[in-house]
Amino acid sequence: MSVPTLTAPANLVGSFTPDVFAAHLSSLPSSLPGWWLDRKRAAYARFASLPMPTRTDEMWRFSNIGTLTLDGFTLAGAASSAPVAPIGIPKAARLVFANGRLVSRELLSTDLVGRGVIVDTLQSALVNHESLVREHLLAQPPKLGSPKFAALHEAFLADGAFIYVPRDVQVHLPIGVFSHAIGATSAVFPHTLVVLAENARATVIEYFGSDDDTSVQFAAGANDLYAGHGAQLTYVGKQDWSHRALSFQSNSTVVRRDARVQSLNLHLGARQARHESLSQLAAPGAFSEMLALTVAEAGQEFDQRTLQVHQAPNTKSDLLYKNALRGTAKTIFSGLIVVDPDAQKTDAYQSNRNLMLSDEAEACSLPGLEIQANDVRCTHGATSSRIDPEQEFYLQSRGIAKEQADELLTFGFFEEVLARLTNDDLHEALRLLIQTKFKK
Amino acid sequence: MSSLSDTPTLSPPTHDEAMTVENPAVGIDQTAGNFSYKVDYAFDAGTGLSEDTIRYISSVKKEAPWILEFRLAALKKFLAMPMPTHWATKDLENIDFQKIRYYLSQGQKPKRTWEEVPDDIKKTFERLGIPEQERKFLAGVEAQFDSEAAYSNIKDIVAKQGVIFVNSTEGLREHPEIFKKFFGKVIPTGDNKFSALNSAVFSGGSFIYVPKGVKVAQPLQAYFRINAENFGQFERTLIIADEGAEVTYMEGCTAPKFSTSTLHSAVVELVALKGAKIQYITVQNWANNVFNLVTKRGVAHEDAEIKWIDCNIGSRLTMKYPGVVLKGERARGEVISIALANDGQHQDTGAKMIHAANNTTSNIVAKSISVGQGRSTYRGVVHIPKHLKGCKNNTECDALLINTNSRTDTYPAITVRGDKNSTQHEASVSKVSEDMIFYMQQRGLTEAQAMSLAVNGFINDLARQFPMEYSVELKRLIDLEMEGSVG
Amino acid sequence: MSQLEIKDLHVSIGEKPIVKGLTLTIHSGEVHAIMGPNGTGKSTLSKAIAGHPDYTITSGEVLLDGASILGQEADERARAGIFLAFQYPSEIPGVSIANFLRAAQQARMAEGEELDASAYYKRLYSRMDLLKIDRKFTSRSVNDGFSGGEKKRCEILQMAMLEPKFALMDETDSGLDIDALRIVADGVNTMRGPNLGVLLITHYQRLLDHIVPDHVHVMYDGRIVKSGDKSLALELEAKGYDWIKKELAASAA
Repeated sequence: MSVPTLTAPANLVGSFTPDVFAAHLSSLPSSLPGWWLDRKRAAYARFASLPMPTRTDEMWRFSNIGTLTLDGFTLAGAASSAPVAPIGIPKAARLVFANGRLVSRELLSTDLVGRGVIVDTLQSALVNHESLVREHLLAQPPKLGSPKFAALHEAFLADGAFIYVPRDVQVHLPIGVFSHAIGATSAVFPHTLVVLAENARATVIEYFGSDDDTSVQFAAGANDLYAGHGAQLTYVGKQDWSHRALSFQSNSTVVRRDARVQSLNLHLGARQARHESLSQLAAPGAFSEMLALTVAEAGQEFDQRTLQVHQAPNTKSDLLYKNALRGTAKTIFSGLIVVDPDAQKTDAYQSNRNLMLSDEAEACSLPGLEIQANDVRCTHGATSSRIDPEQEFYLQSRGIAKEQADELLTFGFFEEVLARLTNDDLHEALRLLIQTKFKK
Repeated sequence: MSSLSDTPTLSPPTHDEAMTVENPAVGIDQTAGNFSYKVDYAFDAGTGLSEDTIRYISSVKKEAPWILEFRLAALKKFLAMPMPTHWATKDLENIDFQKIRYYLSQGQKPKRTWEEVPDDIKKTFERLGIPEQERKFLAGVEAQFDSEAAYSNIKDIVAKQGVIFVNSTEGLREHPEIFKKFFGKVIPTGDNKFSALNSAVFSGGSFIYVPKGVKVAQPLQAYFRINAENFGQFERTLIIADEGAEVTYMEGCTAPKFSTSTLHSAVVELVALKGAKIQYITVQNWANNVFNLVTKRGVAHEDAEIKWIDCNIGSRLTMKYPGVVLKGERARGEVISIALANDGQHQDTGAKMIHAANNTTSNIVAKSISVGQGRSTYRGVVHIPKHLKGCKNNTECDALLINTNSRTDTYPAITVRGDKNSTQHEASVSKVSEDMIFYMQQRGLTEAQAMSLAVNGFINDLARQFPMEYSVELKRLIDLEMEGSVG
Repeated sequence: MSQLEIKDLHVSIGEKPIVKGLTLTIHSGEVHAIMGPNGTGKSTLSKAIAGHPDYTITSGEVLLDGASILGQEADERARAGIFLAFQYPSEIPGVSIANFLRAAQQARMAEGEELDASAYYKRLYSRMDLLKIDRKFTSRSVNDGFSGGEKKRCEILQMAMLEPKFALMDETDSGLDIDALRIVADGVNTMRGPNLGVLLITHYQRLLDHIVPDHVHVMYDGRIVKSGDKSLALELEAKGYDWIKKELAASAA
């Protein structure tokens, strides 16, 4: 394999130098198709030339720019251990990655395999399902302010998950994808690609975690979710990186005619986590439900940027992002609903609710609308408030102590999001997870 | 003195007396302002912007040296600052600052009676109905014609209470001790590129001081008229309400519709001292070739209240976000905004609320109507910093889209720190219901009448906050704007 | 046998005095009704006894079995046996009635002691049957999107589950149609007995047709100005509140 000779200014690439990239390329299996390696090289060139975000960048308004860094990380080597399953509900299949390499897996039932369902690594799919992967992998350009980190992800993406459900097939149990960062300074680039063909149904659960809560790690992950005509996809992502990690995650969802995607992201970990989520309602009848819950604690910054693009008439999107803030936590929600000129009869909603649980916490909301069609129903709302004293008094008047009343009300605040999940087991498991994190 | 002083003045604007409108009302009907008379300007800074332009303006105004220094420093800032097109519309790039005339006047001293106003200027204001309005319901009027006030008068009864109402040129000259103390303090020169431009070339605008405890019962009004083509109007208004004082200020404006674009870039600073109340009402009805880029902000001290009622109907592009800095405990700030954007117009309006003391409250209600290919944009800032308690903001933005290709955007930014404050923002976008229109048509109204009724209903709760004379005209204007919008 | 003593109680909201020297003693087994025109301080009295932080007790005492409760937080007072049925109960999204009542029951148990879940649900369902409340109700969020009648029934259900010593019922009849009123009154009547004291706060006689009081007090301008038995309520209904105002004016003159 030819190794490109690249030079790049150190301040633009940090630890991710041309040498490190060359070493990464040479570590990949020789079976990978040439177009993919070309794309990776082009991505690295983009990464190395694009500037870091600046304070005046509208897409980074209110974000802490000074704490973004590309320095001090290493491309971690293979790790052999596979940590315990963090979401304890039965699964149809499972892939476990550590530092970007598959360390264990649970296979699909022979029945589902027989019906054409695929749960495989990206490396394998790039060879065995080349055209599907080529059509959908990182097919949507980054639109939410992180072209540099998207390019970094593409350049260093070693392996990830590929999930395909063929026409009319339903996978009842969730499919799990677990990505772990192992080691004190490791940098990881997880990727999950989900393609549902016509009328297919599936639930995908993604988990991101670290071996040690004090590791200074780096993650630049992405996922592509594609729901074909009439398909129904439920996606749950749980981000629980080390509390000293820096994380960039970007999501691209494409919803075709009469399809429905429900996504819920739980944000728990990392020192600074940016999450960008793009939903494209590409054909009539498409519906995207975008949910997120954040428990932000001392020193954490969660920066969430969303875009709901209505490209066709009669499409629907519904976004609900809730943040509970403690200590010196900071959250940013920046959301935009875009209605294209001919997307009449759009029904779009966007809501950001911040629950302020400390005098030091800071919440920023930028809920936006850009509407170019008149026969639409578009609303948004943003609130920031403390626990309602009247509700608190009501609970106290029933004999519940103040601290416990506040906890109940906070769980109630989360519940409004969790209750949107139609899968009861998942709902229960996530409720438990988030309550545990909150009580910790 | 100035190298420009012997520059020949450009030929005055052309006649356009084709339109006659019966008894046009102040600042409302766009067609009513679409005329211009030939005026001979005694003072003309020529075309383009340089240090010499500023020295010329300062010298004809016989300004104190510190003002000239202030202007020159502002020019440097203006030239250094980039156009804010990383967030604002690229249409700003169509302004050619070297093709604008920055100062035109017949003289620097306004007349106290209409009889003294030169005929060529007087007939403009008579046609706009200003003297009549003054007699009917105003406590004082200032009428600015291009760069300077041609007429400025305040009723004796108000003047006797110690209220000062003069144009800013006079204010600087005759009340420097008050003017200097507050001038440029609410809106610093470098607040934005256009506040810097205004600080460099400002002329005209009102200076108002209301003494302690004085409540001015009737509104004070300023009327701004652009008469000349390629002209830039840069008035500077400063209103100070001393402790417990109350005042309502209204401004209206018109300009003829020239084929080239015109620039209006004002700076308005309000100071409401302890317990004072200022209400500032704007009906902006510039011709739709005017770039209207205005910075408006007030500081509300303890228990004070500042309310902006901001109605934008005219202009090609308006960028204006009236703000209140809530500096004292229990201060209140309010912005009521109505915007109507028709074909070729972009109303980029909104509000800023900066909470800087405990128990301060702010309220924003913004309603916009986009007609045809018009575009309305709401931008808002609500900021509640650390360690404050009991602060509240409530924001409501509603947009009405009339035609299939009308456009609206909403970009609020809300920052809250701590668990002792609350903010609430809600926005919605809707169209006029077809069922409602059909219902009214079935009762015999035309589609345009029905549409006007529906649109008036949409803004009705806000329009009621305008003085009677304005709200009646507002309705009439909407009827006019709606006529071409259906069918 | 318990008693709730209110002694010369003065309550302010902010700087404004609302209750201006009210004295009343309620024993277990008794039902007292306080009637009075709007704005006379009835609701303030009940919220102040329950410990709402917006209400300042400027002087006077509230004793439960001889011990002052005024130094206690609202939840401590509740656990001591004071129950307030709210005129406008809070809506609490995301917190189900079942979870909420469990938390309230658990709060009444000693540290380390666990609630017997099956016994709890058995008791909950029997109380719900009594109040003609659908069992699906328990999975709904507390008062969230409830009709007026549902909210009041939810209050009575909580009262039945928490078994207070004294119930302060603030305008329990407001917003109820006659059928809902009957269900609520039946609920209260079944709980009536030697272990419960009730203070009914109401503007109208209507509620007292269904929950017949032992004592009736008329409150005016922050004080009790007249007391009697249930016939006082009927007299008040017939003559109207102006009658009280006139009497007061006459006695002041």
